[in-house]
Amino acid sequence: MSTVPFIEVENLYFSRGDSEIFRGVNMTIPRGKVTAIMGPSGTGKTTLLKLIGGQLTPDKGRVLIDGDDVHRLSRKALFALRKRMGMLFQSGALFSDLDVYENVAFPLRVHTDLPDAMIRDLVLLKLQAVGLRGARHLTPAELSGGMARRVALARAVALDPELILYDEPFVGQDPISMGVLVQLIKRLNQALNLTSVVVSHDIKETLTIADYLYFISEGHVVAHGTPADLDANQDARVKQFIHGEPDGPVPFHYPASAFYPDMLGDTVIQGDAK
Amino acid sequence: MTIKQGAVASRITRLGRRGCDLIESLGRAGVFLAQSAVGVPSAEGIRLWIRQLHFVGVLSLAIVLVSGLFIGMVLALQGYTILIDFGAEDALGQMVALSLLRELAPVVAALLFAGRAGSALTAEIGLMKATEQLTSMEMIGVDPLRRVVAPRFWAGVVALPILTVGFSVVGIWGGYLVGVEWLGVFEGSYWSNMQASVGFINDIGNGMIKSVVFAVVVTWIAVFQGYDLMPTSEGISRATTRTVVYSSLAVLGLDFILTAVMFGGL
Repeated sequence: MSTVPFIEVENLYFSRGDSEIFRGVNMTIPRGKVTAIMGPSGTGKTTLLKLIGGQLTPDKGRVLIDGDDVHRLSRKALFALRKRMGMLFQSGALFSDLDVYENVAFPLRVHTDLPDAMIRDLVLLKLQAVGLRGARHLTPAELSGGMARRVALARAVALDPELILYDEPFVGQDPISMGVLVQLIKRLNQALNLTSVVVSHDIKETLTIADYLYFISEGHVVAHGTPADLDANQDARVKQFIHGEPDGPVPFHYPASAFYPDMLGDTVIQGDAK
Repeated sequence: MTIKQGAVASRITRLGRRGCDLIESLGRAGVFLAQSAVGVPSAEGIRLWIRQLHFVGVLSLAIVLVSGLFIGMVLALQGYTILIDFGAEDALGQMVALSLLRELAPVVAALLFAGRAGSALTAEIGLMKATEQLTSMEMIGVDPLRRVVAPRFWAGVVALPILTVGFSVVGIWGGYLVGVEWLGVFEGSYWSNMQASVGFINDIGNGMIKSVVFAVVVTWIAVFQGYDLMPTSEGISRATTRTVVYSSLAVLGLDFILTAVMFGGL
């Protein structure tokens, strides 16, 4: 196995409107490992995945996937690169006009010329892997959230990609499907020798599957290392997050004027003051 | 600067910004149309197009035909009461046919189409965007402009002119029902006056040109509003409203311009 990193993020700057989301993010994501990107909500973790997937273009800096600068590729080359990656969306993002079987078959049908019998075998294998071979005739509307995410996972691996990007795979799952997803991500990564990038703020689950973690806050990588490294990290921002403390560097209160005068009606709210 | 001057200046700034936003979104819509509508369709694309033709065309048939019938009937009724004063009720067929072919069929069918099919297209594409289906399609390596937008756009462009023909035919028949069957206009003069006065190129052809223009504009507005909306429930409802409002205004405005060019001797 090559030791060259699969993804390199170099000095990435990105802003949306007036708010700067990333101010110089650097990351290297090794091949064949599970790398997690963690951080409080609103730090742009999903945005980072979209930058890696080439859906958004950074203001400065670059993203290299297997040596190719994602944002300098032609549209055609970018779509070819995307065949080599799968992405699991927070909502599952299954196509609502297709049933489970056709959803998983979709990437195969558009990117290969395989005969129907072969597609059927492949689809059923992928569905078997996520335990939903029996649900092939259901429509996305009939699936629970956890099942939808598993179908989406089967679809994401349909073309045997080299890289999978997981966007908040554990959000809104009950403990059982959470456990199922943790298992699946781990097993798929080993069985298919994938490179996985998991964006999440579920600490317990993420720490169990990740080989390496990056912690993002305020537009920078503030800490990175193995789960043990991060657990022992003394940075206040990391500590607050890992231990789930309600107040700390990330304040409990949204910025506001002083409390007592505000309650007594003596002052205008900060946002209104000119 | 006094407060008043400041307020005026900021109002002018806002106006300018609106203008810039408008031009920018027109540009986006143009690029969007060029990227989605231009290109050679695949076999799969044709299958998707036929499916959309069913959704926007066949399913709009009922409302368009029923409206056509009533409009033809009302035209005959109103026309008769005026024409009879001049003893010219024989010209009823001509009046009904010309009003329908030149104006009412293209315009009313387009307005109905905007309400029935255009709003549905906007909401559907918008919901696909809101549930990340378009993004995930892109990540699978399929261009949603080609796969989702193009079949819908071309289905609308083909469906509306056909619906317009149906509207005219049913409307003329409705006029016949009221004028001839009910009010007693002589059947021979209803049809022969129509035959003598309706020109194939000048009336039917121009009506069809109008209809094709409206089809492009209405469907374009509908798919663009769906693709460009804010992916929230509020964004979808606003975009759906915008589709109907913009389409209606565009159809009525363009109709005046086209009429002026075609029949006004410009």
